[in-house]
Amino acid sequence: MPARNRKQWMTDPQLPRGDWVDSRVYSDPEIYEEELEKIFKKVWIPLCHESELPEPYDFRTATIAHEPVIMTRGPDNAVRAFLNVCPHRGMMIERRPSGSFLEGQPSGNPKRMTCMFHAWQFDMKGNCVYISREKEGYQDRICKEGQGLRRLRCEVGMGGFVWVCLDDQPEHSLEEWAGKPFECIREAIDTEPLEVFHYHKAIIGTNYKLWHDTNSEFYHDYMHYHNRVTGFNDEYFARKNIAFDHGHVNVSSFEVKYEEYEGFESREELSFPKFPPNQWYMVDLFPGMNFNLRGSAFRCDIVTPLGPNEVMIEFRGLGVKSDTPEQRRTRIDHHNSIWGPFGRNLHEDLIGVAGQGTAMRPGTEPRRILHGRHEDNYIHDEVGMRHYYDEWGKWVNRLPSDPTQAYKSPAAAAAE
Amino acid sequence: MSANGAATVEAVKDAIYRSCLLLDDEKWEEWLSLCDDGFQYSIKAFSPEINYDMIYFSADRNHLSTMTEQLPKHNTDHSPLKRHSVVYTVDVGEDGKTATAVTSLVVYQNMLDGINSHLDSGENHLFLVGRYVDKLKVDNGRATFLEREVRLETRRLDKGSHWPI
Repeated sequence: MPARNRKQWMTDPQLPRGDWVDSRVYSDPEIYEEELEKIFKKVWIPLCHESELPEPYDFRTATIAHEPVIMTRGPDNAVRAFLNVCPHRGMMIERRPSGSFLEGQPSGNPKRMTCMFHAWQFDMKGNCVYISREKEGYQDRICKEGQGLRRLRCEVGMGGFVWVCLDDQPEHSLEEWAGKPFECIREAIDTEPLEVFHYHKAIIGTNYKLWHDTNSEFYHDYMHYHNRVTGFNDEYFARKNIAFDHGHVNVSSFEVKYEEYEGFESREELSFPKFPPNQWYMVDLFPGMNFNLRGSAFRCDIVTPLGPNEVMIEFRGLGVKSDTPEQRRTRIDHHNSIWGPFGRNLHEDLIGVAGQGTAMRPGTEPRRILHGRHEDNYIHDEVGMRHYYDEWGKWVNRLPSDPTQAYKSPAAAAAE
Repeated sequence: MSANGAATVEAVKDAIYRSCLLLDDEKWEEWLSLCDDGFQYSIKAFSPEINYDMIYFSADRNHLSTMTEQLPKHNTDHSPLKRHSVVYTVDVGEDGKTATAVTSLVVYQNMLDGINSHLDSGENHLFLVGRYVDKLKVDNGRATFLEREVRLETRRLDKGSHWPI
């Protein structure tokens, strides 16, 4: 077909409505704020890994949907989460990314979370244990017993990640929410404790869903020379995308031929517990978390949306805590060769979504973004994205192919 | 410092600055020609987020050569990286034939095709901050790299890079 005029360009594709989305889902500021309220404040979000706060009184800070969060490990070894906000004047209590409360801070005592502003102190369970000049200022009108931190739902699971939910009464437990898609790698990541060995972040001018889309479709392997030469074979094309409740997807495995990339070797000498060597499974969780197990190295991407056209992606690499130094070094090298900030694939993926973000900035005309490849759920089928956007539509009550309309199921939309 | 020691220091500084120019100009093989056959290269950073001394990349000379030869097969952000470096210290070994040098490093990205070239090509961004920690041998007045550790402070690396730093 020759190049199209505007009318032709703007015409809906000759595909069912569930097979494409309107690009305003990636660029509309109002939709973005709705997503934070209706999705990110309601679902389980993995914020860090338990190995990032290994000792009692260790802490880690993060953010969900504008809200600062702190995770602490108590003297009872339990990991808990709270809003990282002092109930007094709304100051962020802990400003560091991680550390230990065993050390006293300039305004406070050891073993306490202390707000530096006016020295209010809290224990690892979030109880307020000290208000400076409490009686003098508040008499009995306010007392520390009523000034605890805002506690958040927090569970450790799925390979030792720390999951937090801002909703006090989430509709599902973590296991109900994410358990089934993880089944394919559950033994590999839950048999022995894991440890994070890699962390870096990217802030990219693109919508968070575009990163998740990239993680949810393998058709873009055409972009990766590495994946074409190590992967494109009959086994690769026999992999299937499998959809689960709540918008999650996983991708079944095959044996990657790393030695086909010049300079790389087979990775069969090292894997995860009970996991065959050189296998590669991927778990994509709604609304934007990705877990990627390539035999010898485990990667996790966590998105923090910063705007309709901006996202922070935190990249972690994990090994087995009991690794020997040699095994750990091998895992790190394998991780970095593809997924590190100077590796072969991650750079290409990020160029891809940055380009999408540039072409779909707020104010650009709505475009039809195709998710319509049907290959019986095999690897280049875009069922992962279709499944995701159907779930997304339910959460925000919008039709992905026309977000000005209320949600309809793909079947109902197609029937119109 | 003896006259020979001063000459060794100058040879080391010359090698480091030449390496920066060659890397700036993406002359990978010429850069590697400054390196010993047993050259080891790594990019590392300590993460206060996970409290772990990380390795972001590591390779020997052969791996670097193979990797750079394959760059045309990869999709890459071609925005040139330009180094600003100052050699802070050169410590010459007792034998006078080896040296360790610490170089302060800032790398700027001269935007070309990374985001929207119409808007930002020609613009410079700070790409990363760190140090080179180099080990070199000096023979007949010529310094050759044995080892380079790029020790980064930067951990927000956005799109990252396919290129040696």
